[in-house]
Amino acid sequence: MATAARSYSRRDTILLAACVVLALIAQVLPERTRDPLAAALRHTVLAPLVALQRDAELTHRAWLTREDRVAARDSVVLRSMALDAVRQDNDHLRALLGLGARLQWGFVPAEVLQGRGVGEEYTVALSAGSRAGVREFSPVIAPGGLVGMVKTVDPTMSIAIVWSHPDFRVSAMSADGGAFGIVAAHGSSEPERYLLEMRGVPVRTLLKPGTLIVSSGLGSTFPRGIPVGTVLGEMKTSELWARTYLLRPAVLPSEMTSVMVLRPERVASGVDGVWQTGVHIDSAVKTVVAAGEALERAARAAAHADSVRTDSLRALRALRADSASRRDSVVRR
Amino acid sequence: MRPTDLARTIAAFVVLVLLHYTLRPLLGWRVSPDFLIIALLLVSIRVRPGTAAVIGLCMGIVSDSLELHAFGAGALGMALVGFSASWLKAVFFADDVLLNAFFFFLGKWAFDIIFLLAEHRLGVGELFIEMLVWSPLKGVVTAIFGLLTLMLLRPILRASPT
Repeated sequence: MATAARSYSRRDTILLAACVVLALIAQVLPERTRDPLAAALRHTVLAPLVALQRDAELTHRAWLTREDRVAARDSVVLRSMALDAVRQDNDHLRALLGLGARLQWGFVPAEVLQGRGVGEEYTVALSAGSRAGVREFSPVIAPGGLVGMVKTVDPTMSIAIVWSHPDFRVSAMSADGGAFGIVAAHGSSEPERYLLEMRGVPVRTLLKPGTLIVSSGLGSTFPRGIPVGTVLGEMKTSELWARTYLLRPAVLPSEMTSVMVLRPERVASGVDGVWQTGVHIDSAVKTVVAAGEALERAARAAAHADSVRTDSLRALRALRADSASRRDSVVRR
Repeated sequence: MRPTDLARTIAAFVVLVLLHYTLRPLLGWRVSPDFLIIALLLVSIRVRPGTAAVIGLCMGIVSDSLELHAFGAGALGMALVGFSASWLKAVFFADDVLLNAFFFFLGKWAFDIIFLLAEHRLGVGELFIEMLVWSPLKGVVTAIFGLLTLMLLRPILRASPT
């Protein structure tokens, strides 16, 4: 037993010595031998383990950087939100520049001074006053259309009532000029609070949803052709001889940031061609139709004259023939 | 060792090697457990010292293939630790939790010392810091995880009745 134990011990010792020698040899191996050997081990035995380790380290890194990633994502979202607001503002300003270019003259640009006071949903403070040429009852417009009317003017600022004000009225018509009425604030509770209604439209006139309503120019406050809103539908009222239509405003409260105040001389000369409302297209169509009708009338008149002339010639020839036959008969006699 | 016990030991060994390459990088600790040492010790106490030395050499060579600057150092350390563990277990230790923990701690510390001395990379100051501060800490962590592993793998590692 002791001999067996010693032999096992000797064999173990020999194995240990061999292992130590092999390990020392591995340490002093030249690179050209060591590197291929290590590479072979990495590509075979160790390959799946290395893949596992790589995935585990990636997971660990993802876990460590999760807060940074969340913060980065929040920052990006925040920036994108701000970017959207800037883009909307830019679009609005571009539209305002376009409106200014189309108006060309007779307006005062103004900023709507935002506040959170009571009653500001009916009135807005404008950054331009009498020194800039703003007068009472001057129309306030935006790229989308009508905003309201100046109520009070100070030297450096002014107060305007917007279309949601209970006292606001504008004489309006459909863009084709087929229906006239008075537009005022709807004055209802939510959610129809910020809508308009067009009253006094004759019963015989039907307006389809989507019809554009513009200022008619009747009265001296608002020139003709400023978009006021679009028809949403007819309202049920107790009136028998007139219809009332619900309108979606052309300028929403959120778009009342930068506006223009029309000067009196511009109101007097009108704003034709500033908005593509169809009023001028309709006028042009009417002009073309009228011109066509005139041409047709002229052609008919010319044709009538020709036929009259031909008839006259025929009658004249017949008369001459008759006279000649009479003369011949006289000569025979 | 009977075939059933051999299969169980191999299963436990594979689980520990997988843990070394998954759980350890997932934890990412500065003082991390060495599941390869735990696996080597678990196997070593079930085989003869010479066999344990050969197993340690093979494990060391494979793990050294990722660390070319110390190629052979890990093999030397694992061969010596495997042999010593097998011999010491046969001579001294009984099946006791605290003794097992000390066994893991000592195995890891001894391996680190041999490895650090064999690789010739660190200066004297750094070497002493590593050997006397970090290596014992790693030994403690390895001992804790070794005990946890023993508890979790108890159904596998329990010797089959004769």
